[in-house]
Amino acid sequence: MSSAAVIDTLDVVAPTPTQDNLPRRMGDFPTLVDALDYAALGVRGVNFYTARGELGDVMTYAALRDKARQIGRKLKGMGFEAGDRIALIAATEADFVSFFMGCQYACVLPVPLPLPTSFGGRDGYVTQLRLQMQSCRARAMVGPDSMEEFNQQAAEGLDLLFCGTFQEFDALKVAEGELGHPSSDDLAYLQYSSGSTRFPHGIAITHKALMANCQGQGRDGVQLVDDDRCISWLPFYHDMGLVGTLLTPIANQVSVDFLATEDFARRPMQWLTLMTRNRGTITYSPTFGYDICARRVGAEAMKSLDLSSWRVAGIGGDMIRPDVIRHFAETFKDAGFSSTAFVPSYGLAECTLAVSFAVLGRGMEIDLVDERVLSGDIPQNTDDHLHVAANGVLADVDSDIHLKSDESVSEDDIRYREVVCCGIPLPEYELHVRDEDGSKLPERQIGRIFVRGDSVMTGYFDDAETTASVLSADGWLDTGDMGYMRDGGLYVIGRAKDMIIVNGRNHWPQDIEWAVEQIPGMRSGDIAAISLPGKSREEVATVLVQCRLRTEDERRQLVEQIKRQIQSVAGINCRIELVPPRTLPRTSSGKLSRSKARQQFMAGTIEALDF
Amino acid sequence: MTNAGAPEGDVYSRICRLIEPFNKKNVPLTPQTTFASDMDFDSLTVMDLVASIEDEFDIVLPLNMLPDLESIDQVARAVQKIRKDV
Repeated sequence: MSSAAVIDTLDVVAPTPTQDNLPRRMGDFPTLVDALDYAALGVRGVNFYTARGELGDVMTYAALRDKARQIGRKLKGMGFEAGDRIALIAATEADFVSFFMGCQYACVLPVPLPLPTSFGGRDGYVTQLRLQMQSCRARAMVGPDSMEEFNQQAAEGLDLLFCGTFQEFDALKVAEGELGHPSSDDLAYLQYSSGSTRFPHGIAITHKALMANCQGQGRDGVQLVDDDRCISWLPFYHDMGLVGTLLTPIANQVSVDFLATEDFARRPMQWLTLMTRNRGTITYSPTFGYDICARRVGAEAMKSLDLSSWRVAGIGGDMIRPDVIRHFAETFKDAGFSSTAFVPSYGLAECTLAVSFAVLGRGMEIDLVDERVLSGDIPQNTDDHLHVAANGVLADVDSDIHLKSDESVSEDDIRYREVVCCGIPLPEYELHVRDEDGSKLPERQIGRIFVRGDSVMTGYFDDAETTASVLSADGWLDTGDMGYMRDGGLYVIGRAKDMIIVNGRNHWPQDIEWAVEQIPGMRSGDIAAISLPGKSREEVATVLVQCRLRTEDERRQLVEQIKRQIQSVAGINCRIELVPPRTLPRTSSGKLSRSKARQQFMAGTIEALDF
Repeated sequence: MTNAGAPEGDVYSRICRLIEPFNKKNVPLTPQTTFASDMDFDSLTVMDLVASIEDEFDIVLPLNMLPDLESIDQVARAVQKIRKDV
């Protein structure tokens, strides 16, 4: 980690303080620049911890502002114009934060891009970076030293004003230009966190949208108090990491301690150790983060934990799995963790980040819903199919219903699924649940979730057509998710969009299908990538492939080939199922219907071939 | 990485031992066995394994090496190279 962007580290022995005399302002700024200017008046800031849990770079918001202004002047001097895009490899480092904010002072749009996350997949990773840079017509690319080789490869032949490392940028000798000041309606950044990697579109977020969301999170969502401190391992190339744990803390003047995502993945207990050591109060994670902590904690580690300061344990980013969350609470109860700290939430990058937060102090609230209603097999005409349970304790249901280990509930032949309340929409939003015809549904009726509010994106960058498919002229965003409202709370049951989420990573079926189509002999339309529920409701990426081969030997070889191809191109392990020719369902316009394919495969109407 | 010479049998077999607890499908291990396609490891499993390799050999496997490591043999060579360079 570089120390270039850091205040004199020789004197620093402690992270930035939690408390400050600066009166807190909760995101009521016209732009992110104004927000940082204000935060810089105080003593709080951001801190970066090493893989071994030692304090590395410490940067107060005042130091961040100085460094960002210096970067901004340089960018202007180099000839970057307002609205230009700069691709930034989003490592969890002070340099990334400085550069992201430096772009703001030059009215240039930073575009955070991902890091590799696993063994293998070099080509897929480089291609992804390149496609994203092309899609936003980036004029520069900046990244950490360690990623230089990949970046150069990804940027090869692109017309860039600068491509290099943060250190190389620092060392450039150029005349400095005049800083600009963005207006509230200007774009602040582009986000690629949730889109297809093969056909990327950057989500365009204005300063106004960002500030509205930061305000909603700080003031209404987590309701910040004096001794709040945020701890995070979420990546900056994901909306929950970038907005939730970096920009929202800046806009609300909160100190944050960061652990790199890859270090968390290797040694997840560092997260809880940091919570203990720095008396963290707020942290967010998708379900899988809670899962790996509960699975990997040892007796020794447990003894040193004190999680009693933990006030907001945000859950979001993927479908919330109640059994996993309960297991975490049970596991860490003796370390002082309270299950009422759980704050299930709902959001998406198209809304900057947050849409709704659970009411603080209530923990997980759960509905039991008849599986047949969820699958659409029986109509949802009355309240009969919604049974209510509070915090996993069955309340309004008959006593002969019992929770089974696989997390669904059965009464005679009826199976119920636990659906988690994702909270109350932030005040800025109007929210509709609509049926297939677009009519607004009453509470307790399942439909598609639409929202309208200040923090909805202006659109996908440079892509009016895709924008128009999800965002109406009067500002309603089709979230693509399905759910229902009950007593003002939003219950999300799944996605109408076909996205597949595994361990918090979004995979787009068209990317997986495209990969398979590259195998000679494969035709588009032969392949459907879908998400099926696994043993404990985790998602299992599954690919249905129409197959004309007759012997099991040939089929086995094909399956192996498809698996490898998807792994190397799309970077995901999929279950492959071969199905007979002409069995994948089509829509009336002849397009493949993934949702029907999924339904029919689960119902057994489409049968898998043996291999 | 491929021209770093054959890995010492010791490094290879120690890595295989570390893989065993993650090898839920009981895939037979050879130097050419791949983590993603053959063993179906997801990125979390991989990082868990990376942590145990790092502890076993007291090294750090940097993130920028991972995209080039597909097979056990490649990991063994990388580990050996890092140990030499230290």
